[in-house]
Amino acid sequence: MNVSPERARAARAGPAADAPLTAAAVLRHPIQAWLHGRLRRTESLKLTQRNIYILPTRAGLMFAATLVTLLVASINYQLNLGYVLTFLLAGSGAVSMQLTHNTLRGLTLHLKPVAPVFAGDAAVVEVVLSSPWRARHGIGIKLDGAPASTLTWVDVPSGGQASARVSFVPRARGRHDVPTLSAETRFPLGLFRAWTVWRPVGGVLVYPKAERPPAPLPVARPMPGGTTAARHVQGGEIEGIRAYRRGDPLKLVSWRKSAKSMETGGELVSRDTSASAHQELWLDWAACGTLPAEDRLSRLAAWVLAAERSGVHYGLRLPGMQVPRSQGAGQKRQCLEALALWQ
Amino acid sequence: MSWAERWRTLPRDARDTLFLLGVIAWTVLPHVSHLPLWCTLLTAVMLLWRTQLAMVNGPLPTRRWLAILLLIAAGLTLWTYRTLLGKEPGVTMAVALMALKTLELRARRDAFVVFFLGFFIILTHFLYSQSLLVAAMMLVSVWGLLTALVLAHMPVGQPGLRQAGSLAARTALLGAPIMALLFVLFPRVGPLWGLPADGGPLTGLSNTLRMGSVAEIAQDDSVAMRIRFAGRIPPQSAMYFRGPVLTQFDGREWRPEPAALVRSAAEIGLRTRGEPVRYEVTLEPQRLAVLPLLEAAVRAPAIEGRHIALRPDLQWVTDRPLRERLRFDALAYTDFGHGAAASPGTLREALWLPPGYNPRTLAWARALRRDARQAGAGARQLAQAVLSHIARGGYTYTLAPGVYGETEPLGAIDEFWLDRKLGFCEHFAAAFVVAMRAMDVPARIVTGYQGTDRLPVDGYYIVRQSAAHAWAEYWEPGAGWVRADPTAAVAPDRILRSEQLAPLPGLVAGTLRSVDPQLLARMRGAWEALDNRWNQWVLNYSRGQQLDLLRSVGFRAPSWHDLSLLLVGALSAMALAGAGWAWWDRRRVDPWVRQMDAVRAALRRLELEAAPHEPPRTLALRVRERLGPAGDSLAGLLETIDRQRYGRTPAARPDGALTRRFRAAVRQLRTHRAARAPATP
Repeated sequence: MNVSPERARAARAGPAADAPLTAAAVLRHPIQAWLHGRLRRTESLKLTQRNIYILPTRAGLMFAATLVTLLVASINYQLNLGYVLTFLLAGSGAVSMQLTHNTLRGLTLHLKPVAPVFAGDAAVVEVVLSSPWRARHGIGIKLDGAPASTLTWVDVPSGGQASARVSFVPRARGRHDVPTLSAETRFPLGLFRAWTVWRPVGGVLVYPKAERPPAPLPVARPMPGGTTAARHVQGGEIEGIRAYRRGDPLKLVSWRKSAKSMETGGELVSRDTSASAHQELWLDWAACGTLPAEDRLSRLAAWVLAAERSGVHYGLRLPGMQVPRSQGAGQKRQCLEALALWQ
Repeated sequence: MSWAERWRTLPRDARDTLFLLGVIAWTVLPHVSHLPLWCTLLTAVMLLWRTQLAMVNGPLPTRRWLAILLLIAAGLTLWTYRTLLGKEPGVTMAVALMALKTLELRARRDAFVVFFLGFFIILTHFLYSQSLLVAAMMLVSVWGLLTALVLAHMPVGQPGLRQAGSLAARTALLGAPIMALLFVLFPRVGPLWGLPADGGPLTGLSNTLRMGSVAEIAQDDSVAMRIRFAGRIPPQSAMYFRGPVLTQFDGREWRPEPAALVRSAAEIGLRTRGEPVRYEVTLEPQRLAVLPLLEAAVRAPAIEGRHIALRPDLQWVTDRPLRERLRFDALAYTDFGHGAAASPGTLREALWLPPGYNPRTLAWARALRRDARQAGAGARQLAQAVLSHIARGGYTYTLAPGVYGETEPLGAIDEFWLDRKLGFCEHFAAAFVVAMRAMDVPARIVTGYQGTDRLPVDGYYIVRQSAAHAWAEYWEPGAGWVRADPTAAVAPDRILRSEQLAPLPGLVAGTLRSVDPQLLARMRGAWEALDNRWNQWVLNYSRGQQLDLLRSVGFRAPSWHDLSLLLVGALSAMALAGAGWAWWDRRRVDPWVRQMDAVRAALRRLELEAAPHEPPRTLALRVRERLGPAGDSLAGLLETIDRQRYGRTPAARPDGALTRRFRAAVRQLRTHRAARAPATP
C-alpha cells in the first residue's frame, strides 16, 4: 500500500493514539499485543468461563480494606454484631464476584456487517449481544485498549438480544479488519470487573478521505459519435443537472436541488441543458496534476461524489485499472471501492 | 404537583442522589442522641443543602469550600472533646465527613467513599448498643447502601428502585450462608491491642463512691446481668452480688484499699455452711474489672480467656475490664463468714477517719458508746444500736435527697445523719461506717447489686442497674467481717422483696399502667424474653460456644486450630461449588437451540441437510419435498415446533415430548426404509 509515512504511523497506533501513554500502558502494550495475537478471529463469541477474565477493581480493594478495618474494630471492641456486619458484607462481596461473572457468562456476541466509511470518519461497529437465559445489566462494549469513558452500556433482556454500537476512526484507506473488541461489566456491586476480549471476523472497507473543499469537476466531453445536434433541435429543454461550474449564469442554478445537495455537503447544482447523458465524464488519475498519490485518490473520491450528485455518467481511470462509465449508487460504490483498494 | 408525582418525574441522577441521601440520613439518625448538637445540625444542613442541589441540578460547592467546612468540623470536634482520638470524637468526625462527602459526589470514587464511610458508621452504632432494634435499623441501612451501589452499576435507562432493591437483597441473601459460616467458625480472639478508656459502657458499678453517684444509676433500668439458677433459688434478701469493697475514706470519697491478690479463699478464712447455690450468669459489659458474684463464691468461675483472682476483701477481679458480654457458671454459699484473721493493716485502714470531717457525727457516736446501755458492748451490739437508731430516728429513704456538703464542706455526713435525714443506700452505708469507726469498730462499705426482678423471664432472673446497692461490713473479733445493711433498717421492702424505688412513670407508661396494670409488665416481659434470646444466641456467641459446637459435631478436644481448619475447609468447599457451577453453566445452552440441534442431528441421519439458520418451517418444506407422503408426520411435527417457537402465542420453553416424538418418527422412517430397500453391497 502506498501510504505516506505519517499516515502509516497514525494507522498503526490506532484509535488510542490520542490518549496519553502511561508507564503501565507502555509495559502492558507488548504483552497485550502478544496475547491478542494468539486469539483466533471468530464469527461469534460465546462467553464461557474459559474466555472471561475477572479481577477486583480499585473499589474492590478499597472494600477489602474497609472489611479489614471493620473486622479489627469488631475484634477489638468484641462486637458480635460487628462480626455479623463484616461477614454479611464479605459474603455479599464474594457472591458479587460470582454474579459479575454470571453477567457475562452465557452471552453470545456477534457482529453486524460494517458499512464502508471514508478515512477519518467514524466506522460504526454494531455488536449484537444475545442472552439465552437470565437478564443481564450494565454490560459495556468498547474497543480493546480504549479508555473506559468510551464504553457503550447495554442491558440484555432474558432470552433476548440487544445491540451496542462502538465506533473507531480508520486513518488510512483500504480494507481493515474490525479491531479487537472488549466487553466488560462491574454489575452488581462494582467490586469486580469481568471482561472478555474478542477478535471478530469481519472487515470494514475504508474509502480515501474525500478532498475538501473539492476541486471543480473536470469538463465533460461530448460523447464521440453522439447526436448532440439532434438533441439541440428540440433545444432549450432541461435535460438534467450537473455540478456548478464557475461562469454558469445564475439562472441556470437549480436552487432546490442545490439546497438538497449542500445539505449533504455538496455544492451548487446547475441545470444542464447540454444533454448530459450524451456527455462523457472521465475521472482520471492523470487529470489530478502533480499531487502525491494519496491526495490524488482523495481528489478522485471527491469527484466521484460530485459526479454522482450531478447525475452525469462517469467513469474512473486509475493506473492499471478502469471502471467503465455508468451512474447510480452501484457505480459510486464500485468507484470508491476501486479507489480504496488501489495499490 | 404532589410529592409522589414529583418523585416519579425526577431525572435519574437526582432520584439516585436523593435515595442515597435518604439512606445516609437513616444511617446517621440513631447517632443523634450521642452527637454534639453542632454535629447534628451541620449534618442536617449539609444533607438538606445537597437535596436542594439535587432537585434543581445546581453546581456542587468547590473544594475550597469543603476544605473550610472540614476544618470547621475538626475544630468543633476538638473544642467539644479536647481531642480527635477515641470513640466519641471518632464517631463525630465520621458523621461530619460523611455529610461533607455528599457535597463532593462527583466521580464514581466519591460514591464509593460514601458507601464505605456508611458501612463504618453502621459499625459505630454497635459500640453504643447491639440491641435488636439497632440491628434491625442497621440491616435496613446495609440494604439501602447495597441498593445504591447496585443502582450505580446499572447505567442503562432508568432502573426502578424496587428492581435495584431486590437485586441488592438477592446479593445479600446469597451471601448470607457465607456470613453464617464465618460468624459461627471465625475464631474469636481477644482485643488485639489496648482500647482507649472510653470503649465500654458508661453505666455500671464504680470503683469510688461519692454522695450522689449511686443515685445516677438507680434511675437506670437497663440490664446488668441475667441469672439462671440450677436447683435451689435463694431468697431475695440473701441475693447480694458483691462488687468493689470501699475501705479508704478521705472525707469525701471512698475507695478500695490497695491489696495484693490472694491465692485461695481459704487464705482469707472463708468458711461456708450448708449447700451451695448453683447458677449461670450472663453478665452485660461492665466498666470495671470486678465480677459481681453472688456472696460468697469460693472458687473462681471458669471463663475462657480470662484470669480471675481474689482480693483479700473477697472481691473477684479479672485482668482487664469486662467490655464484652460474658456467660459463665458459678457457685455461691449464701451462709458464710470470712476475715476472722484479718491483717492489722486492713483493720487500721478500716478504722481510719480523716481528721476534721463530720465532727458532729463522731460526737454522736461517741455519746452512743458512752451510753450506759452500751457499756462493754461488742461490735455486734453497737451495730444493732446504730441500725435501730436508723429505723426509729426519723430517716426517710428517697432517691432524690438533694445534695449534701454544700453548706458544710467538712460535714456532709453530719448534715445527713443529724439534720435532713433523707437519703438512699449509699448515704446510710457511709454514715453507718463512719459511726462504727467512731466507736472503734472496723467497718467498710461494700457495693454491688442487691436482688433481682421478682419474676423470672424465660427462666432468667434479671438484675438491673437500678438494683445497684451499697451496704456495710463491720469486723467482729472471732467472727470476722459481718454484713450489715442499714438501708434494710429504714426501707425493709427495698431488700426483702427487692422493690427498687421507681421514679415516676412517663406519660405513655402511666396511661398504660392505668388501663391495665399487668399489660405493661407483660409487654415488657415478652420483649425482654425476645431480647434475651438475641443476647444468648447472637451477642453472646463466643469462643466457649464455638468449642461447644465443635464438640457436638464430634471433635473430641477442639482447639483454635481445628476451628481455623474447619473454616478454611468450608470456605474452600464453597469456592469449589462456585467454580463448579460456572463450569456446569458453560454447558448450558438455550433450550430452543438444544432442541434444534437434536432436530438437525436426526434429519442428518435421514440424509437431509439442515443449516443452523433454517427455521423448522423451512425444514418441513424440505422434508415434504424429499420424502413425499412418507414424511408427512415428520413435517407436521416440525410445523408444530415452529408454531410453538414463533407462533402467535409462543411457548416459554420447548416441549421435550415433542422432540422425543420427532426422534422416534425419524427412527421409524429409517427402519421402514431399510426394510424396503435392503442395502446393496
